[in-house]
Amino acid sequence: MIVCVAVVGHQNNPLYIQSFTDADDALKLHHIVHCSLDVVDERVNNPKKSGPTLNETFLGLLYPTENYKVYGYLTNTKVKFILVTTDLDVRDADVRNFFRRFHAAYVDAVSNPFHVPGKKITSRTFADRVSTIVQSFGLSSSV
Amino acid sequence: MGREVSESCIDSLLTVMVSTYCNRFYANKPELAARRIEAIGYQVGHQLSERYTMERPRFSDHLEAIKFICKDFWFELFKKQIDNLKTNHRGTFVLQDNRFCWLTRMSIDQSPENGTSEELSIMADNKAMQSMHLYFPCGIIRGALSNLGIPCAVSADISNLPACSFVIE
Repeated sequence: MIVCVAVVGHQNNPLYIQSFTDADDALKLHHIVHCSLDVVDERVNNPKKSGPTLNETFLGLLYPTENYKVYGYLTNTKVKFILVTTDLDVRDADVRNFFRRFHAAYVDAVSNPFHVPGKKITSRTFADRVSTIVQSFGLSSSV
Repeated sequence: MGREVSESCIDSLLTVMVSTYCNRFYANKPELAARRIEAIGYQVGHQLSERYTMERPRFSDHLEAIKFICKDFWFELFKKQIDNLKTNHRGTFVLQDNRFCWLTRMSIDQSPENGTSEELSIMADNKAMQSMHLYFPCGIIRGALSNLGIPCAVSADISNLPACSFVIE
């Protein structure tokens, strides 16, 4: 179950945060996303620890908290995608697939001539696409 | 998602854009027209670089990013790569395209050795108009590079048409 996805710009400004649970802990999810940004920076700036995955876009599991797992993805343009999920057994391929589709939706949203780079993404189409991707992520991993 | 436009439409659109900005919007202020056209190119380059870097791993340094611009980015835009890349290893790069797509329709002036002053001023005007058309691709390069994290200034040089060099600092 994905609980939250977030897009964070290159100055660590939030561009899109969407939570998918009914509970009221949106603030806690925002806090988790915020903390994971530090981990992203650390992974990127510490080449010795990252090793062979230095130039990959997919950063993998950032850190597991009490109930959640947080995955990160860094694009070439320094935009970060953060995924927070409560699933206990999540396959790597599923998460990579998710990020690939999410990246495609993000690129389409940013190519909108009315979108101002650096401001929040307000497109309904993007929100709908993201919720479709999130729902199909849940289905495929339950198989 | 997937609809296409013919290349001649793009050529015409650019020609009309340059002439509208120069002759109607900022009729007596070529500096402002140039800035505006370059700003349009900047936004386009910004968005295109997002799209074309999608599948690739991250670049490790500036040279890799410039090579990306020369090869993949230019190929996506113009169906060819940059013909020549020179650098002074101190932050300046010169990209040379021997047959720049958007300039191929422009007439090449035969410059007389001793022209009259009237002919020379007409030629100077022609040169100014030609250089107006280059602000858009300069803006595209600048937008793409700044989205990849490399702030720069881009200028163009058309000493021999239809070859064109872009100087990136």
